[in-house]
Amino acid sequence: MRALPGAEKRTPSGGRPTVTAGDADDERRSRIMRATAELIAKRGYQRTRVELIIERAHVGYTSLYRLFPEKVDIFIALFDDASDRTFELIEASYEREPGGWPEKVAAAVRSFFGAVYADPLLAKACLVESLTAGPALAARYEATVLRAAEFLRGGRALASRSAEFPETYEEVIVGGVLWMPYQCLLVGEVERIPDLYSEAVEFILRHYLSEGRAAEIAGAAEWSPRNLPS
Amino acid sequence: VSVEEHDPDRPIADELGPLPAGRHGFTPEEVAHNQRERLLAAVVEVVDEHGYSAVTVTRITEAASVSRRVFYENFDDKQACFVAAFEIVVEHLREIILAAARLEPDWPHRIIAGLRVLLDFLDAEPLLARLLLVDSLAAGAEVAARFRAALISFVPYLRTGREERPKAAQLPASTEDSLLGAVASLLGRAVAGRAPLDVPRLTNELAEFILTPYVGAKRAAALAEQARTLP
Repeated sequence: MRALPGAEKRTPSGGRPTVTAGDADDERRSRIMRATAELIAKRGYQRTRVELIIERAHVGYTSLYRLFPEKVDIFIALFDDASDRTFELIEASYEREPGGWPEKVAAAVRSFFGAVYADPLLAKACLVESLTAGPALAARYEATVLRAAEFLRGGRALASRSAEFPETYEEVIVGGVLWMPYQCLLVGEVERIPDLYSEAVEFILRHYLSEGRAAEIAGAAEWSPRNLPS
Repeated sequence: VSVEEHDPDRPIADELGPLPAGRHGFTPEEVAHNQRERLLAAVVEVVDEHGYSAVTVTRITEAASVSRRVFYENFDDKQACFVAAFEIVVEHLREIILAAARLEPDWPHRIIAGLRVLLDFLDAEPLLARLLLVDSLAAGAEVAARFRAALISFVPYLRTGREERPKAAQLPASTEDSLLGAVASLLGRAVAGRAPLDVPRLTNELAEFILTPYVGAKRAAALAEQARTLP
């Protein structure tokens, strides 16, 4: 995993924290990544010129090109970082949830929608604009879908006819779930995301549980601020 | 290209091909119409080759072998030209999907027939498939909004499925939206990979996926199995 903003501070053990070149680079990296995410969300990837990134991140050309040889490398870094952090949240809430697989999935979806809701600009860059930024980002988006699909595969044990599910069934479900925030982000209606949360849960569970049970768990799936990542 | 005149056995891209060189017997109106079609064919080609953002009006006019003046007589800018091509594809698809669906006796088979026609088209027309499902996302907010509008225009056709049985009437309001989004995102990922589409497999999987909420898992699986073996 690459250096996360604020993580991996290179503090010599036992001594006073000293500012090193590594710290300064970490800090520049994260400023560049943040500025780029915001620009991509507002202008689209193609129209996010390097000059605009430099201006917004308050860094020089030399630093930027030392840290990121090409513009696409910034997008890759911020996508990987956002994806890693979001999957950490999703995995944690999936593990922490004491209920069965359906409740765990509901908790995981809540973490995902929560992350989108908490940082819509970053979410828009990663979920909407990444599809427009060429093969490297498309491959990452694809990998993200596959990784998310793994959480759903556990449901096959509960579905009576799971053996008949096509291999890619979970990927299609993930596509439908991603479409919900995608649409909201595209038209700037982030406030609809909490309302869509329980519908997303029902959309998933219907494929694995009886309809009554799916609706029941979705109905109990509550969106509340305490569930949001800080 | 005019949808009414489109011969279903000929790829649209062929019809959008350039005029033969040399003298011809076309009237000025026919030439003008043809120039517009050549520009539309050209924008499809150059967007696929270079990506939307790298496409310029010059690239389009060079590929179409028409002058910049003719371009600006037809379109305000490159986005307008792209939008025109995009809308032709959307309209064409809507026509062939609805036409195929109309021939079927009941709702599930109408869905399957529409799906199959859509997949056959995407498979036969990889350039237009990418224009529709991949490049349209990169072509700015207006085109993305048109894509969304085109997709959700199919919501009412899916919603009819709620009449299939009482349980389907209680589906969450966003069900149709999510199903269409799921299909679009799967197909977008499939055509972006530039590999041939496995039409029977995709028809089977997507049919099962779409039908399940409406007709129940068991019947959906049976209908989808039938769909796999369609000629």
